[in-house]
Amino acid sequence: MTTATTGGGDRAAARAAVGEPTRDSHRPGTGGGAGRPGRTRRVGTGRKLAPYLFIAPNMLIFAVFIIWPAINGFNISFYDSSNGRTFEWVGGGNYARLTQDAEFWQVLGQTVVFTVAFVLLATWGAILLASMLDVQVKARGFFRAVFFVPVLLSPVVVGLLWNWMLDRQIGVVNALLGGIGLPTPGWLVDPHLALGVVVFTGLWTHVGFYTMILLAGLQGIDGSLYEAAKLDGAGSLQLFRRITLPLLRPTTLVVIVLATVNGFQAYDYIYTLTGGGPLGSTTLLVQYIYDNAFRTPIDYGFASAAGVLLFGVVFVVTLVNFVVGRRREAV
Amino acid sequence: MSTLQGDQTVGGAVPAHEPRASSTWTGIGAERGGRASDGRRGRGLSTLDVVRGALLTIGAAVVLIPLVWMLLSSFKTAGELAARPPQWLPSSLSLPTYLANSVIVTVAATVLTLAINSMAAYAFAKYNFRGRDTLFVVTLATVMIPLQVILIPLYQVVASLGMANSLWGLIIPGAATPTGVFLLRQYMLTIPDELIEAARIDGASEWRIFWQVVLPLARPALAVLAIFSVIWRWNDFLWPLIIAQDESTYTLPLAIAQFSSELVVPFNLVLALSVLSVLPVIVMFLFLQRHIVTGIAQTGMK
Repeated sequence: MTTATTGGGDRAAARAAVGEPTRDSHRPGTGGGAGRPGRTRRVGTGRKLAPYLFIAPNMLIFAVFIIWPAINGFNISFYDSSNGRTFEWVGGGNYARLTQDAEFWQVLGQTVVFTVAFVLLATWGAILLASMLDVQVKARGFFRAVFFVPVLLSPVVVGLLWNWMLDRQIGVVNALLGGIGLPTPGWLVDPHLALGVVVFTGLWTHVGFYTMILLAGLQGIDGSLYEAAKLDGAGSLQLFRRITLPLLRPTTLVVIVLATVNGFQAYDYIYTLTGGGPLGSTTLLVQYIYDNAFRTPIDYGFASAAGVLLFGVVFVVTLVNFVVGRRREAV
Repeated sequence: MSTLQGDQTVGGAVPAHEPRASSTWTGIGAERGGRASDGRRGRGLSTLDVVRGALLTIGAAVVLIPLVWMLLSSFKTAGELAARPPQWLPSSLSLPTYLANSVIVTVAATVLTLAINSMAAYAFAKYNFRGRDTLFVVTLATVMIPLQVILIPLYQVVASLGMANSLWGLIIPGAATPTGVFLLRQYMLTIPDELIEAARIDGASEWRIFWQVVLPLARPALAVLAIFSVIWRWNDFLWPLIIAQDESTYTLPLAIAQFSSELVVPFNLVLALSVLSVLPVIVMFLFLQRHIVTGIAQTGMK
């Protein structure tokens, strides 16, 4: 824990002992050779205080605009507000109602199926894309830019766009499929297909983001490792499995966590893509919460309870990700 | 050590890191040369190159075709619309104001986000201090709070601070992004402790180490975060919808929404506006992309 700190101090002390005279003139900010001597004193106070000063602005905004409202929201989940005006303490009443709500269980199941499919496909898709874009291919810059473009679009527009593309009658996709004699399914009206379409749209929207993060991670991998492995006769696939994947793991963990959160919180593009239909087959948790909180009949306490549960689920899944990720790193 | 700490080594760090730190610098040059030649090493294209090219092309088509179609559609029905009295923009819609609001909010919020997130990330990555792990877990946990869940309590806080219906209310509340802290912290873990120690021995202040050693090295991650902050803010819809009640504080997405909520929705205009609103972000991306690609090699280590 303290190795780094004492190490630095020892080295400083050692250097001072070797020859530098210790003056007490303290000129902060001058840097270079002239202003050095005051350092031991500053290590004492400045370094202890520094981390707190560094995190202070961020944490202040966190506390005021995220944590405090979240605590309030948690609090509201124990109140009945179904009449829209008063808040009445009901303890776990809202949670009990949730567990008896058949729609809630359906929505939860759909959310889990969607998120698992989304995280797996998005992570592997992004890893493959990033590793394909990291080496020299023709028009690499072009490909990188193209895959990133969907990320730039407003999710509301993306939902609209695919809604049009996949329309049974006027959609371009079915026109193309029909043109070459393939079946033209009702992508957005068939409850069995719609969730798949939502997964696809989610991938279309987010994979570029994850690819970009992984590309930044790939830049950090020492190229000489590849050279050494190649000299030892390793093939491309082996390089990928033995060097790229393991060394990319910290960055991959970032992507998995982000994808998990994005999966559980998917909302805006679904809203314009399917609106949660057909037959509620693409209604996910956030829409369920939103509908209960802002659509009549407004039931904010009940919606907050669902929100707290959503938070709990994501929190647990993320912790598991971390623990598993850590264990693999340790091996 | 904390369970969340990345692969930052502590005990044996110094001897293990020394050779790596020096080889990274030369290594990256070697990597560029070495892996660049990978694709065309005299014998022409390998199977892998063909597969790779095919996959990339298919992927690019899946991305581009809808966009081209959107672009074309945004012009296509203009003729049909012109048949009616040509009312391109409703008189109540003053685009310059919305555009200016969007630019102000996006730029200010992004600068603020980069500043406070990188400071926090540095503290989490490179200092040992009491409460660090707890605070980091809390920070991470906030990623998982959907805006929809805290919308009403958050609005109450913002309103009580007098920031409702002002651009401040759009800029400040979302500035402390947990994603940004996480991304930058993970990246900063890879910066060798020796660099920071060396700067300390040279008498640099903590702030100076952060500003002149760590930030330049973290540039690729900062560029990534900058891009995403701009995108989030530029496309943000739900929060502005709640906060900006007065038209003078509308941002571009709200204007587009106002367009599409008209009695007869002019879809081609909605699309055209979407296409227009996406252009500045694309330009910014093309500009910043180079920073990501050049990456570590050209910063700090020199």
